[in-house]
Amino acid sequence: MAIKASEISDLIKSRIEKFQSTTEARNVGTVVTVTDGICRVHGLADARYGEMLEFPGNTFGLALNLEQDSVGAVVLGEYKHISEGDTVKTTNRILEVPVGPELLGRVVDALGQPLDGKGPIKASKQSPIERVAPGVVHRKSVSQPVQTGYKAVDSMVPIGRGQRELIIGDRQTGKTALAIDTIINQKGSGVKCIYVAIGQKQSSISNVVRKLEENGAMAHTIVVAASASVPASMQYIAPYSGCTMGEYFMDQGEDALIIYDDLTKQAWAYRQISLLLKRPPGREAYPGDVFYLHSRLLERSARVNEEYVEKTTGGKVKGKTGSLTGLPIIETQAGDVTAFVPTNVISITDGQIFLETDLFNAGIRPAMNAGISVSRVGGAAQTDIIKRLGGGIRLALAQYRELAAFSQFASDLDEATRKQIDRGQRVTEVMKQKQYAPLSVAEMALSIYAVNNGYMDKTERNKVVAFEAALLAFAGSDHAASIKSINEKPVLKEHEATLKKICEAFVATGAY
Amino acid sequence: MAEKTTIARPYAKAVFALAREQRKLDAWLNALALAATVVMHARVAPLLTNPRATAADLADLVNEIAGGELEVKGKDFFKVLATNRRLGYLPEIAAIFAHLKAESEKSVDVTVTSAVELSADQQKKLAAAVEKRLARTVRLHTKLDPALIGGAVLRADDLVIDGSLKGRLDRLENELTG
Repeated sequence: MAIKASEISDLIKSRIEKFQSTTEARNVGTVVTVTDGICRVHGLADARYGEMLEFPGNTFGLALNLEQDSVGAVVLGEYKHISEGDTVKTTNRILEVPVGPELLGRVVDALGQPLDGKGPIKASKQSPIERVAPGVVHRKSVSQPVQTGYKAVDSMVPIGRGQRELIIGDRQTGKTALAIDTIINQKGSGVKCIYVAIGQKQSSISNVVRKLEENGAMAHTIVVAASASVPASMQYIAPYSGCTMGEYFMDQGEDALIIYDDLTKQAWAYRQISLLLKRPPGREAYPGDVFYLHSRLLERSARVNEEYVEKTTGGKVKGKTGSLTGLPIIETQAGDVTAFVPTNVISITDGQIFLETDLFNAGIRPAMNAGISVSRVGGAAQTDIIKRLGGGIRLALAQYRELAAFSQFASDLDEATRKQIDRGQRVTEVMKQKQYAPLSVAEMALSIYAVNNGYMDKTERNKVVAFEAALLAFAGSDHAASIKSINEKPVLKEHEATLKKICEAFVATGAY
Repeated sequence: MAEKTTIARPYAKAVFALAREQRKLDAWLNALALAATVVMHARVAPLLTNPRATAADLADLVNEIAGGELEVKGKDFFKVLATNRRLGYLPEIAAIFAHLKAESEKSVDVTVTSAVELSADQQKKLAAAVEKRLARTVRLHTKLDPALIGGAVLRADDLVIDGSLKGRLDRLENELTG
């Protein structure tokens, strides 16, 4: 960006010309106290709840507590230069962030300002960060799938477009990995992704961005970063900003996916703000409205019908539905899902994926506990082929779990029981999947078909992963056309014979 | 500061209601202003927190100086304040009282800060314009601040109308740097 000196003066001249120098009448107040990013402002009698306040030095704040004589405000950004006695003005505006396709591929902060050094974002539209979720009449039920590319998730806890599916687990169980792989797998599907990082290490965020870039997923992704080093106010508003950016795509009749990583940290930031604002603490010292904090955010994930899209676009987009799929992440402490925030978010979302440390350490990755992970609405959106094949997986695993505990004590088992245990072990093996290796629907169907129909029964348990890899490689090279046709029309009835043929041909080669 | 007004408000409201019943708003305002000056006095202020000064003593002290125009009820008010150890809040009570009085009379204090001295004619024009905008009778106070360069800043309670050259330049600066 090289600019000549004369261009700069032209730029300034045009901006001065555009500047409207009118007398301004504004409501003002005086800063009484500044404590950890919270300002108590005397006066400001006309300030409204959630209004932006202007502090000196181009700093803005959010009016959060309206009291009899004063206003409690949280400063967005640096607050070190604000001192007692400073003048604060009302702005008659609520907080807005830039939205639009211009943001794709960028890393922005909670206010939509670029953090990636790629120059200013020329977004033409701004939208308020707090919006009411689409109403009942504007909604449509979930019917299209979001493919995560994970066999375990897509077969047992399918996610539909417009659904809210919670990813919950202790630290180091692969929550973020699951989310990032889902973003990577949206490449080419037309689903726009927003990754909101809240209270994370800067290094983790830059890792995520690098991985997305390496896998070519940045082009359809916006990263909203509110790292652990930014003030709590920014961490508090970051999910709402990200949601607004996602809603833009939903309103345009497109599909979007938003990941909040993670909402536990946002609740912590909000708790800090609330306690400093002297709001009464409740359970676990969270304020009274911590449920509403998350429910109003997650309610904005929705699938909207054609009329809604037509209305919001002013008739430009017709006959298309929009969706915003939400994947909130919650980090539990020592597997305690009965803590305040996890129970809240579990009750708000349409299902949850439980990731467990024990499974992770046992080498089962993704470390999903299939018994307690559910998807309440995703079944309606699952592809036919996976839905029909996946039923067998759930059953085999459920039976296996029951027998596995029992069989530890019994040395000699009858034939039927041993078969079930063997099958369960093989299914567990097949459900394992590496990071950054999402599978297509056809590949998934082939793996599941092979294990369901006993093609792996004769393989050693520790060779199952290799068998599967070889099978997929074989299908990819010798039966590429079949795989492609399954992906195009994933209906089991039409392709069952093909799957059988591939499996038999593969077993005949004996290449595993 | 905010906490102090919170404590002072019920007292101010009570005493305002009382004064209105007695139709002695002006007398009360003067008395409260005087009492506020008394308790703020450098030699009186320490007494308020002195445990050896009894409530009766303090009430008498204030009444002797400020309670002249008031009847028994006025003297009782200072006694109540003294027993509740709230005499220190008199400045805030007086301020809220003045505010309530202005509100009830539909009048407002407006401070005009200008770069140059305003002529009587200008003041009259300004007062008329502000009266129209706020729908209140206006008591105009003037202040001089050459730093404004030109124009004037009007302040009525929380409302500030900034028509100064300095304000415009500040906004231009914001526009160019922001």
